[in-house]
Amino acid sequence: MKRLLPSVLALVAATPALAATDRAAVIDTYADIAQAGYEDSLITARALQEAVAALVADPSEATLAAARTAWLAARDPYQQTEVYRFGNPIVDDWEGKVNAWPLDEGLIDYVDTSYAGPTDENELAAANVIANPALRIAGQEVDAGTITPALIADTLNEADGIETNVARGYHAIEFLLWGQDLNGTGPGAGDRPFTDYAQGEACTGGNCDRRADYLTAATDLLISDLEEMAANWAEEGAARAAITADPDAGLVAMLTGMGSLSYGEQAGERMRLGLMLNDPEEEHDCFSDNTHNSHYYDGKGVQNVYLGAYTRIDGSTVSGPSLRDLVAETAPELDAEMTAKLEATMQALGAIKTAAEGGMAYDQMLDPANAEGEALVMAGVDGLIDQTRSIERIVTALSLDSIAFEGSDSLDNPGAVFQ
Amino acid sequence: MILRATLCLLCLASPLRAGVPEALTGHILPGYAGFAEAAGDLAEAARQDCTAPALRARYQLAFDAWTVVGDIRMGPSETGALAVVFWPDARGFTPRTLQGFIADQAPVGRDPAAYAEASIAARGLFALEQMLYGAEFAGYAPGSYACALVQTMTADMAAQAQALQDGWRDGFAPVLLSAGGPGNASFLSETEAMAALYTQVMSSLEVTADTRLGRPLGSFDRPRPTRAEAWRAGRSLRNVLLYARAARDLAVMLAPGPLPQTDAALARLEELAGRVSDPGLQDLDDPAARLRLEIVQQQVRTLRDTIGAELGAPLGLSAGFNSADGD
Repeated sequence: MKRLLPSVLALVAATPALAATDRAAVIDTYADIAQAGYEDSLITARALQEAVAALVADPSEATLAAARTAWLAARDPYQQTEVYRFGNPIVDDWEGKVNAWPLDEGLIDYVDTSYAGPTDENELAAANVIANPALRIAGQEVDAGTITPALIADTLNEADGIETNVARGYHAIEFLLWGQDLNGTGPGAGDRPFTDYAQGEACTGGNCDRRADYLTAATDLLISDLEEMAANWAEEGAARAAITADPDAGLVAMLTGMGSLSYGEQAGERMRLGLMLNDPEEEHDCFSDNTHNSHYYDGKGVQNVYLGAYTRIDGSTVSGPSLRDLVAETAPELDAEMTAKLEATMQALGAIKTAAEGGMAYDQMLDPANAEGEALVMAGVDGLIDQTRSIERIVTALSLDSIAFEGSDSLDNPGAVFQ
Repeated sequence: MILRATLCLLCLASPLRAGVPEALTGHILPGYAGFAEAAGDLAEAARQDCTAPALRARYQLAFDAWTVVGDIRMGPSETGALAVVFWPDARGFTPRTLQGFIADQAPVGRDPAAYAEASIAARGLFALEQMLYGAEFAGYAPGSYACALVQTMTADMAAQAQALQDGWRDGFAPVLLSAGGPGNASFLSETEAMAALYTQVMSSLEVTADTRLGRPLGSFDRPRPTRAEAWRAGRSLRNVLLYARAARDLAVMLAPGPLPQTDAALARLEELAGRVSDPGLQDLDDPAARLRLEIVQQQVRTLRDTIGAELGAPLGLSAGFNSADGD
């Protein structure tokens, strides 16, 4: 549900002001930030591709570490684009290719004996494609003799229609670089040895050639996926065209993205649920222990959209007329409320990041005995939920409630459903 | 826009005779009281006899009671509901966690107070469903660890139910009732409180159509009957109906007058549901059974649209963000 809430009384209170800010210009800024964000994601993913090529050509502690560093760097700009998912169907339909999570990683490679194996929901949860050149998917024989981008994209990903069969994207690559994090809620991330990519006698984990092929193919796919989305936001791109077609609908899409990411997705699915399950694998970047950054930059992306400003990886800034400008001239007190709540959330997410960088990794915060960790995570959750309420108020203040109903005959036309 | 402006003037002239107090006293607070009582009865029954066959009837009653308020996600239920109903469980956390407890004879399984800190995968109605109906769990003997675990789980759920009841009655109901009042930062106007409750109605019906029915329906080629809610307890269809009734009942409390079209849409839903052959939805491989369920799903959406038109639109309300947004 991505529709928003109006309020009759507040609608009256918020007299449409003599707006100085051009709504179309606000949308342009939004699209410019998206374009820059996906371009930055692509630039950093290409650096990852080079690092992966170096790892595969010459596996060593150093080349593995460099590939991991490149992966981490690639995540920061990407996470800031997640706010574009909800509200932009072109992004939402594509997103599963690059950032699907959680995954049954046993589909891809070897896993620890503590891993559950096939489950009621997913008989492929431990299929281990890297070790098995032939496998059966939903009763069909599959030739996985050569691991290619096409095999991963067309056959393995979401095999048997199951979402946790994640064969591609950032998290598949993350698993291939780090391996499973077997430390539970204790310190330490995944610890895959570089020799998992060594050829010949030195190979550990078996099938090192196929593992290298998989990593290379998955990275190539990530590049082509990001190229596709960067092009969608470029001058003639489809996503830009869709969002700029109608400025009011565009504003609704912006606010929908902010609210849905804040509430259902980040506060709910990614943070609170993991905490309540007490499961250390219930963290977004679970192999690399990078979840603190993942959450931080998700929150940052929401703030970017409101403030109409994004700091690129080269340090330059993309900015322009903003949602904030619109709200400030219509309802200054609501702008103050929204700005403060976004800042409070960033403080809370920043505290998680600081604690993680100081040695308490996100999975350690999920330990039921770690009251400090729970408080850190819940402060982030509370901030995200709280800011969602203000986002709903903005919909009302900008008189966007009737726009938000678009697509529902019943609400645009109350008589329709009785006909 | 002209129509809306007129409505707003009406609102100013005579502020909404809010349905917030009615929703609380007529639906929500009795709902939590009813669940607390039913969960307490189940825990008491488990103290007498903790074997699965002895508890199933009480379990069904507790689940029935839950559905009255089970889809509400605000106030104490924003987080509290998740420990009563952890579902869907796409990665099998619930059976895995319970198997782990039983294999290790985990001490937490004998300690209701400590159980409040256990994973939500092992708590609440769906964990109990596995213990009472699951093929690999339900055959436990009196005196076994599993039997003690069920006593602990039912006691924990009764305590949760009590906490929800107390939290609503003493904590959150006053916040809703003082909407727009000085110092109320949660609801800046009575309309915000109305809209928040209205969101619960609409979200519930959306979850029923998309998740309770959409998950087992899967695709025509690959239906997923074991993704039905509470199929082991044979109450997947019953849940659809009870949650829909609860949504209608809450809508009625919010409305200034009767909602005849809504009532008609619910009656039609009950009629269509009566044609579904398996209450646990395990026969979806049969195209005829599948079609009957798709028709039920369509009617749930019609009920939602009807409430939107009959209640939401006249009051200028639309649904806010749904906690089930996201992946």
